[in-house]
Amino acid sequence: MQSTSHPTSRTLQRAATRRQLLDAGLRVVAECGFAGATTAAIAQASGKAHGTVFVHFRTRDELVEELVGEIGSAMSNRLSETTSSEPGLAEVVDAHLAALAEHEVIYARLLDELSTLPASARARVFALQSGIGWRLRQAYERALARGEVRALDPVALSNTWIALTNHHLLNRDLFAPGASVIAARGASLKSHLLDITRR
Amino acid sequence: MSDQHCPSCGSCGFPMRERDDFAGGRPDARYCSTCGNDDGTLRPFDEVLQANADYYVRQQGVDPAAARELARALLASMPAWKHAAA
Repeated sequence: MQSTSHPTSRTLQRAATRRQLLDAGLRVVAECGFAGATTAAIAQASGKAHGTVFVHFRTRDELVEELVGEIGSAMSNRLSETTSSEPGLAEVVDAHLAALAEHEVIYARLLDELSTLPASARARVFALQSGIGWRLRQAYERALARGEVRALDPVALSNTWIALTNHHLLNRDLFAPGASVIAARGASLKSHLLDITRR
Repeated sequence: MSDQHCPSCGSCGFPMRERDDFAGGRPDARYCSTCGNDDGTLRPFDEVLQANADYYVRQQGVDPAAARELARALLASMPAWKHAAA
């Protein structure tokens, strides 16, 4: 009888190697940006042979797409974990700030280099932003129904928030040199957004 | 970043946490309620494409034609459509 343990072990090993490559890729991107995240650099950081990268990812673009997907998924998960079923505006903003703070360096890299990345990277970033916009809108419309906020265009409100945070992330070296811009400026950005909505 | 806290839709990447997030409210579904049918199967590409484009338009005010291209690029990188969305 042929053993079935060997294929399972190989499958597990394959998944583990893929995971190691992705984790190494995320470390390299955080340190050197996407431009510096060559397949050779990622192979070296993972301790694998260069050719191993191409066993798991057909092209560098495919690897980059996976890395961007990892960043987006991690931030989406963080956003949905923190909020209750019907969070208020302040809670949604806090959850977003927490997700940004947790992934600040790598997400700022992603925003900064977006125009050089595959089209799917921009689509992923906009999908993430749409998720934030959806949560803000839900919270805003609940507050509006309770008469707690003034009437605003909810799309403009969420785009204002995204623009504020992205601007500070893209220029984090100016707003908070050597520190977390979200830790340094997040509270004032949140106050500004909530002030906009006040009656 | 390697620990996935909840499954993502195999079609659009949406994180699925609540029962209603899954197609047909089935926690074993591979697709979200937007991309999947009530029986958990995947909706046709054109419907999924339009639903995802509409999401960009509704939440961020993206131009409808540009939103379709964004959605097409997104789906092309997803497991369900990687080899079919070109």
